[in-house]
Amino acid sequence: MTSPFAFCIYAILGLGLLGLPIGYSMITGSILYLLLAGLDLGTSAEQILNGLYSSYVLLAVPLFLFSAELMNVSKMTDQLLRFCDMLVGRFRGGLGHINIVQSIIFAGMSGSAIADLAATGRISIDMMTRNNRYPLSYAAAVTAASAVIGPIIPPSIPMVLYALISDTSVGYLFLGGVIPGLLMALAQMVINTVQAHRHDYPVEPPIPLREWPCITWVAMPALLMPVILLGGIYSGVMTPTEAAAVAAAYAFLVGAVWYRNISVKDTYKAVLNSSRSTASIGMLIAGALVFNYVVTIEQIPVTVKGLLAGYDLSPNMFLFWVNVILLVLGCLLEGSTIILVILPIFIPTAKALGIDLVHFGVIAVFNIMIGLVTPPYGLLLFIITAISGAPLRHIIRDTMPFVLAMVVALFIITYVPDTVLWLPRMMGYKG
Amino acid sequence: MNLQNITLEKWMTVGRWLRRRAEAVTAALLLIMFLCFILTIVARYVFNYPLGWTEEASMMAWIWCTLWGAAFVLRERDEVRFDIFYSSVSEKTRCVFTVITGIAAILLFAIALPAVFSYVTFLKVEKTAYLGIRLDYLYSIYVVFSVAVIVRYVALVWFALRGRAPDIQIGAGSAL
Repeated sequence: MTSPFAFCIYAILGLGLLGLPIGYSMITGSILYLLLAGLDLGTSAEQILNGLYSSYVLLAVPLFLFSAELMNVSKMTDQLLRFCDMLVGRFRGGLGHINIVQSIIFAGMSGSAIADLAATGRISIDMMTRNNRYPLSYAAAVTAASAVIGPIIPPSIPMVLYALISDTSVGYLFLGGVIPGLLMALAQMVINTVQAHRHDYPVEPPIPLREWPCITWVAMPALLMPVILLGGIYSGVMTPTEAAAVAAAYAFLVGAVWYRNISVKDTYKAVLNSSRSTASIGMLIAGALVFNYVVTIEQIPVTVKGLLAGYDLSPNMFLFWVNVILLVLGCLLEGSTIILVILPIFIPTAKALGIDLVHFGVIAVFNIMIGLVTPPYGLLLFIITAISGAPLRHIIRDTMPFVLAMVVALFIITYVPDTVLWLPRMMGYKG
Repeated sequence: MNLQNITLEKWMTVGRWLRRRAEAVTAALLLIMFLCFILTIVARYVFNYPLGWTEEASMMAWIWCTLWGAAFVLRERDEVRFDIFYSSVSEKTRCVFTVITGIAAILLFAIALPAVFSYVTFLKVEKTAYLGIRLDYLYSIYVVFSVAVIVRYVALVWFALRGRAPDIQIGAGSAL
């Protein structure tokens, strides 16, 4: 293979493997392609600039990052634990369940698993390991695994990225994630129950009924967030991108007015952190924009389609292999790279095979999110190791049952499309 | 402390000061994005007066925030990269990696620079729809970004040749 496109791929893979940031690898490889193919090198700038300038929906990414940072500094999630205790604490393995339910609620507020972990990881682990009630590694495993729910239940940053590359509606993608997200939580709670019985993990004393209203009231600001966000999006009051801005404004107001614990310094730090993440994810998007242009002019989707036609692939087989490939890649690559670089190769085939792109997107995001807790490259595993101080290999050992349960859930949503599509269709999706 | 060290120290102080100013710029751009959105929503529902320019302004802030941030604020350890391989080899090997990838990036960004510059200046006749800002001004940040990338990789290669590979942080920069 000595075509310009082959050299482009060699360059991207080679530079990426040697540690050049992925965004730069893609830009550099694409410039090499333009050079070898004798095309105008200014196209690299044109694709990146016009692509960034015309993707209004992408603005949801920095704004969701910003709102997550604000939720962190306003500590609005701390109040949620007692509320979750009230709901599920009295079951066997109560604190594990509390951890998972808290992640479900947090998932309705934030679009990022890392934000979930950063916001709740420390206190969840402290709570579970106090008086040696749960082993540290198990507490870390539950916390990391449950953070995965975050980007599946709307809002969701990876779904915004998927909407960009697939031209699907962010609103319907968000809706499609609701049931799969709850299914994932259910799968985790089953594992937690099994483990709790095996290792005789404790039960929390039930909270008397008369305290319920008070506990709910204190947690109210956090509980209202998902209602405002999703209600706003689905009633048509605001676009998903605007909802991201509203989430940030709300988190700020709650911190500044209700809990009164946000200082100017905290706010600046939140702005700065999110702008830094914005630049770093923005570079990845920039690289993907120019690389996807190369893929398009090389007509790779058509070639792939032709190749696949020879194999007489059924949609079910295709989805099976996509799932396997994505699970393997998820062990090795950062998730947004997979969405922006690998998924565009699959989407034309999925379309040709008549697979619904909202269904496909939710499957892919679900799958890639599992990759956040699979070794050797599991982002959440690294973060939770840093937060908890437990040895990585123990955390991995305790996370594995959760991963297996999530993979089972993945195959359920893959082969029962209604689990994804029922809700969007109820709300008018014509797919 | 000899004279050379004092000069180096002085430059580093200047560098840190500049970085903090550059950070303030990205922070301001993110705030602009956020405020534009809030303004759009308030204008639409409270004053029943849909605004168009806010959307445009937020898109501009987004482009500048990304490219300005990538050029002046992000450090090597903030970047999204494939780090399994890089983080498992010796410092010496990392230096070799950095020299190879750095030279490739410098060469290709430099080769593209004239074409990039002429693409951006070619747009001087076009203006944005609402605010009427010249597109070449808006897009000039890409030229700045390209130059900054070249300068940064020249510096990284220079340090790598002297045995210092950039520090990275596993899992940095992800937005998931």
